[in-house]
Amino acid sequence: MSKILIAEDEVLMLKALEFKLKKDGYQVDVAADGRQAMEKVKNETYDLILTDIMMPFVGGMEILSYVKNDPIKKHTPVLLISAVGLENIVLEGFSLGADDFIYKPFNLNELSVRIKRYVKQNAF
Amino acid sequence: MREFLATFETIFNNAIFYYAIFVMGSYLILTLLSAIEMSGYIRKNSYVNYREILVSPLAPSVSILAPAYNEEATIIENIRSLLSLHYGHYEVIIINDGSKDGTFQQMFDYYKLEKVDFVVNYQIKCNEIRGVYKSKLPSFSKLTVVDKVNGGKSDALNAGINVAAKELIMCIDVDCIVLEDAILKLAKPYLEEKYKVIATGGVVRIANSCKVEDGKLVEINMPKNLWPRFQVLEYIRAFLMGRMAWSRLNGLLIISGAMGLFDKETVIKVGGYDHSTVGEDMELVIRMRRYMYEQDRRFKVVYIPDPLCWTEAPQDLQILGRQRNRWTRGTIESLWMHKDLFFNPRYGVLGMLSYPYWLFFEWMAPIIEFLGITVFILLAFMGNINWEFSFILIAMVYFFSITLSTIAILFEEMSYQQYTKGTDLVKLLLSAFLEPIMYHPLTVYWSIKGNLDKFTGKNNWGAMTRKGFKSTEAATETKQTT
Amino acid sequence: MNFFGTIFSYIRETYVDRLSYFPSNIKISLMIILFCAIAIVELYIYIIFRRVIKANQNKQTKYWKERIGNMLASVVVYDESENTAEIAVHFYDKLKKLPLKNSTVNQILTSEIITYHKNFTGKIPEVLALLYAKLKLDKRSKKKIDSKHWETKIEGIREANEMGISEMAEEIIKYTDDENGLLRMEAQAAYLKLSNKDPFHFLDRAQERILDWHQLVLFEIITKNKKLTIPSFSKWLRSPNDTVVMFCLKLIDHFMQFDAAEEVQRLLKHHNTRIVKKSIEIIGKLELEELEKHMFEIYFDHTDEIKLEILNSLGKISSGKYADFLSSRIHSNDSKIKRAALYAIKRDADHGEARLLEIYHHTSPENQALITHVLDNRIKQ
Repeated sequence: MSKILIAEDEVLMLKALEFKLKKDGYQVDVAADGRQAMEKVKNETYDLILTDIMMPFVGGMEILSYVKNDPIKKHTPVLLISAVGLENIVLEGFSLGADDFIYKPFNLNELSVRIKRYVKQNAF
Repeated sequence: MREFLATFETIFNNAIFYYAIFVMGSYLILTLLSAIEMSGYIRKNSYVNYREILVSPLAPSVSILAPAYNEEATIIENIRSLLSLHYGHYEVIIINDGSKDGTFQQMFDYYKLEKVDFVVNYQIKCNEIRGVYKSKLPSFSKLTVVDKVNGGKSDALNAGINVAAKELIMCIDVDCIVLEDAILKLAKPYLEEKYKVIATGGVVRIANSCKVEDGKLVEINMPKNLWPRFQVLEYIRAFLMGRMAWSRLNGLLIISGAMGLFDKETVIKVGGYDHSTVGEDMELVIRMRRYMYEQDRRFKVVYIPDPLCWTEAPQDLQILGRQRNRWTRGTIESLWMHKDLFFNPRYGVLGMLSYPYWLFFEWMAPIIEFLGITVFILLAFMGNINWEFSFILIAMVYFFSITLSTIAILFEEMSYQQYTKGTDLVKLLLSAFLEPIMYHPLTVYWSIKGNLDKFTGKNNWGAMTRKGFKSTEAATETKQTT
Repeated sequence: MNFFGTIFSYIRETYVDRLSYFPSNIKISLMIILFCAIAIVELYIYIIFRRVIKANQNKQTKYWKERIGNMLASVVVYDESENTAEIAVHFYDKLKKLPLKNSTVNQILTSEIITYHKNFTGKIPEVLALLYAKLKLDKRSKKKIDSKHWETKIEGIREANEMGISEMAEEIIKYTDDENGLLRMEAQAAYLKLSNKDPFHFLDRAQERILDWHQLVLFEIITKNKKLTIPSFSKWLRSPNDTVVMFCLKLIDHFMQFDAAEEVQRLLKHHNTRIVKKSIEIIGKLELEELEKHMFEIYFDHTDEIKLEILNSLGKISSGKYADFLSSRIHSNDSKIKRAALYAIKRDADHGEARLLEIYHHTSPENQALITHVLDNRIKQ
């Protein structure tokens, strides 16, 4: 079973994402702020990381850059969730190696399909 | 002789009584004003969605100016946290003020700096700028490093202002922990006031015993050591009660050197920070206000009560004493430089209210207190004292100061409630009882010492700037209100 | 015990038996002490009560948040039906069982529905809107708008706005020019989103100032909302309300509305310098070459701030007509003017750098350094 980490500071969104991905048959780990997320990313291996950009303490960008600079973890797909479409944030994200951007508001089913694709790609 | 002493004693008791009533009355008025201002601020801002300002192209642009002198141990981390603030349109300018350690090399290596052909437009006087550096890496494009000849904190900030390219400048102490929303909240008044805003200032909170990770505040705790704990109380009182009330009156004289956002044009027009005083942060605000009055322009200095900036307070008494000594000298110098403001109606609130208040309360109160105690001891020696009356007078002042501190704690409870643990609250309430007898006499002593040093010319500022602006004491600037 | 006994009897004696014998200042001091002592005790009790009550409330809120959150999350991930009405009915029966009379519960449900409504697209927001109406939460929002307190009004307007209840637009328009700035802005923002027939109508009747902050918020809404039909903003440029003019200029700038050129030219003579400055900026941004001469005409009448803006705009247009004028600014005493003029010359993609190099060879070393600075692309202007 593929294992996914969701990092999101808005409790409700975290819950919805957790419910959805569990329903899709993944093993889901959650983090309610950037610090928790960072700890989990450091200690465990995931098949995909879904993280919000703006979180207290540690932002999604920092998590992304940690993952992409780690020799073993760097192939883990990282999807960034962002409420704001600031051009330079997007550019920074992709230059740090983000696999995809999700903008709020988004379609949950579409997200689920995307995640399926990234997890599958990564399995090879 | 006996008769004379007895009359003198009555007069003395009466004088103390009326002075105390006057002081207490002023504090009550300030408390009331700050209560009004606080509730207004909180009511108004509970509806605000700060994310909008974050992405908007219409938001004002901000240059953060942080002088660094011998900071090699923490500089990389500090810069990293400054680069991760939540704001769309800002740059970070670190001014290396001729550090003697590896501060510059650290930055140079970590951020892959390279020199750019920058011609500094010396709009404000400052020591020679040796070079302006930018990072080769696109992810640090917000960062600029200025390398200059040592000249002290004011001089470093002036150099930064000359290099700054944005509309607003945020002057901060590089070792402060700045919360992510700081720019957003400080910038907002520039967009919503009817009159031109020339400066906004923030609260300074004490970070001793708090948990900090990667330059970010993770957990808030009450300081374990008693001295910083007294300072927590003092800061809450000064910031939530004192400054909030002055903001209401539009008479705020001091914006903390640890964090303030200024209108760059106005700062340049008044000539930037003054090198000749150790109270440069207060002096600048006075000068900017003066300027606006002289131009006949309506303006505001706004104060934001949100806890946005946290700093380590000195817990060593000697260092704390040096800090207070410096504040006293800064106050005297600023007041002296602008002595013509004293009850000068041309300068409105500044001349008629803020300046006299600062003179009588911030500068003279400790002196009067000291004189009072001296006379009391003399009288006691001559056996001419009504112990009971004196005791009652002292008890009155003691009870009043506890009441005031308790009200301040209530304000904190009703607004931000940073200390969520019950035990922390109890500790804070208890320190209100100890503070007037343990901590307050020391502040009076330091203040008297500052006065003596100032008037005997010891520690004068000429030598001060040479040493650099920061020894080990926290460079935070606040003023006590009690 | 004896010690405390002595103190108590002393206090009683002082306040009861001997009070009238004290001189008046001591009497007052004693009164103040008494007053302070009572105040301290009361403050303590109040602070502690507050903590206890708040802790209880938090516990309750947490419980309901968790419970309602779980229910709504299962609405969000429900995929057994594609029919939104059917899904709404299915969950309505469950949500109805909540104690909706309890205002905490009601408020949590409202705000949580809004959160999901705001963050998702597709059928989820539709289902949530249906549920919102079925649970009669919209009636509650309407009631809030009719409340006497502006805070409550704002809450109601926000709810209507977030849930997209267009029927309330007519209700809301009357607050778009309210004296209270916060209410006014909230109403304007909501009206923009909710009004189907004329979302910009509030600009016609705006007499109160639209603060910069409000302009910023409204600007975000207007520029991000793809469903909005953007009108030609030039029709409000004659508004007597300067803030409306300013706001429209910002929008003309953003949407690059070339049809506003004529009106913008008129504004170059406006009494408000902020408006003049913005007009000049627009002329540059939209490269309105035909207005270049009008802009140049006012150059010498204005302060440095406006001059700098004119230089910027001349640079952006780069028609070449004012190339000599720009070059001659190198003799200015003001280094800001000099700098702006050099940047303006640089903007001319075809001749700019060549012209700068030409000046470089015939000028002082200081100016040469400045030109090098301008040519360094790593430095942002």
